Amino acid sequence: MPEFELLNEMEVEVLKELGNIGTGHAATSLSKMLNKYIEISVPEVRIINIANIHEEVYNEVVAGVLFGLEDLTGGNSGYLYIMIPKESADKLVRDMYGMDEVDEEMYGSAVMEAGNILGSAFCDASADFMDLIILPSPPNYAVDMATAIVDGIISQMAQKSDHLILFETTLNSESNIEIDLILLPEEDLFTNIMQILEGL
Amino acid sequence: MSSNIAFISTASARAIILSRNEILTGSYCSIKDLCAYEHCTQKCEIIAETKNHLCGNVQSSNVEVLEGELVAGIGEYKIGKNVLLKAMGLGSCVGVILYDPSTCLGGIAHVLLPGVSAEGKTKHAETAIKTMLEEMIRNGARRRKVCAKFAGGAQIFKHMNMEMLKIGDRNIKSVQDTLKEEGIDIVATDTGGNVGRSILFNTIDGSMIIKYSSGKAAWL
Repeated sequence: MPEFELLNEMEVEVLKELGNIGTGHAATSLSKMLNKYIEISVPEVRIINIANIHEEVYNEVVAGVLFGLEDLTGGNSGYLYIMIPKESADKLVRDMYGMDEVDEEMYGSAVMEAGNILGSAFCDASADFMDLIILPSPPNYAVDMATAIVDGIISQMAQKSDHLILFETTLNSESNIEIDLILLPEEDLFTNIMQILEGL
Repeated sequence: MSSNIAFISTASARAIILSRNEILTGSYCSIKDLCAYEHCTQKCEIIAETKNHLCGNVQSSNVEVLEGELVAGIGEYKIGKNVLLKAMGLGSCVGVILYDPSTCLGGIAHVLLPGVSAEGKTKHAETAIKTMLEEMIRNGARRRKVCAKFAGGAQIFKHMNMEMLKIGDRNIKSVQDTLKEEGIDIVATDTGGNVGRSILFNTIDGSMIIKYSSGKAAWL
């Protein structure tokens, strides 16, 4: 497996563009759904070592949505993990329903829906941009510490790799909503991404 | 800028008090759930005693100041004396603590996977525990005195495929087996469930503080 640290500036820019297109699509969909103007920041892209993940993501409680990613043959390509800090998730849910009081089930379904939109947009972007078709599984949802949600998945991948790609972006509506995305590519997907990046 | 981690042990309670520039930034108290002052107000005697000690007003023999904290990231371990050891955000991971009470040397490993690593990587339970134990012995820990505490191995998602379901349990089992094989006593555990945990370990008195993502805490 190629080493993540070897990414040059150009390749990071390309990954950033992927994140940009993905979050762009997502912002448009969310904006339509919420009927609100939504601004996005240019995403930061970082390759992180799993040992340092606690320094890069929140140790606080987040609403997390986790997708398995499949390629066209049904093989596992990796995972997409969307983290919404609890405070941001509260605002998002409030915006989506237009009211303050929601029960747990409504809360979860709203966060999952937002996750679905983001996840699909991200996969669309990867198809548009890299000709790489990945399909998201139905969402898995949990409210817990950011690393606690994902460490089961990390353990699945850690046999082969010690690194993840973190896309960090902020979606701003009238209220500040922060959303972070982590792409955890399996070896094949990562190799594919790298080959495409090299071909550009 | 001065930040302090103080440990106070009185007849009624034990607490870790975190402060920066003489301002209280956080606390972990063993009687938090029983305490009448829910958010540790000014009235709290334990905080007052610690504060007086740190400010040099009234010296208290109950208060000890720790030299800092060490955080073990996923697949890492950290050892130290007179420090606060931490493993944050454990889901299916297990935080394993080894401690020699005779020298107060402790170590914490943030275990991600069960079994042995062929490359000697400390992501794996068995490799992590053995490597950490060796390093502790090199640093003066007495092997026969070393005991263990561990926590974690939760299952955060209710619906996941079989392989995922098992990883927490497999981690726990692997940790247990390794400790048994090494002849290390297991003093306290808190495993399973579906809530994430953060673990703090106080090397002064050997207490493990578990902070659940639900906000609750436990001292073991």
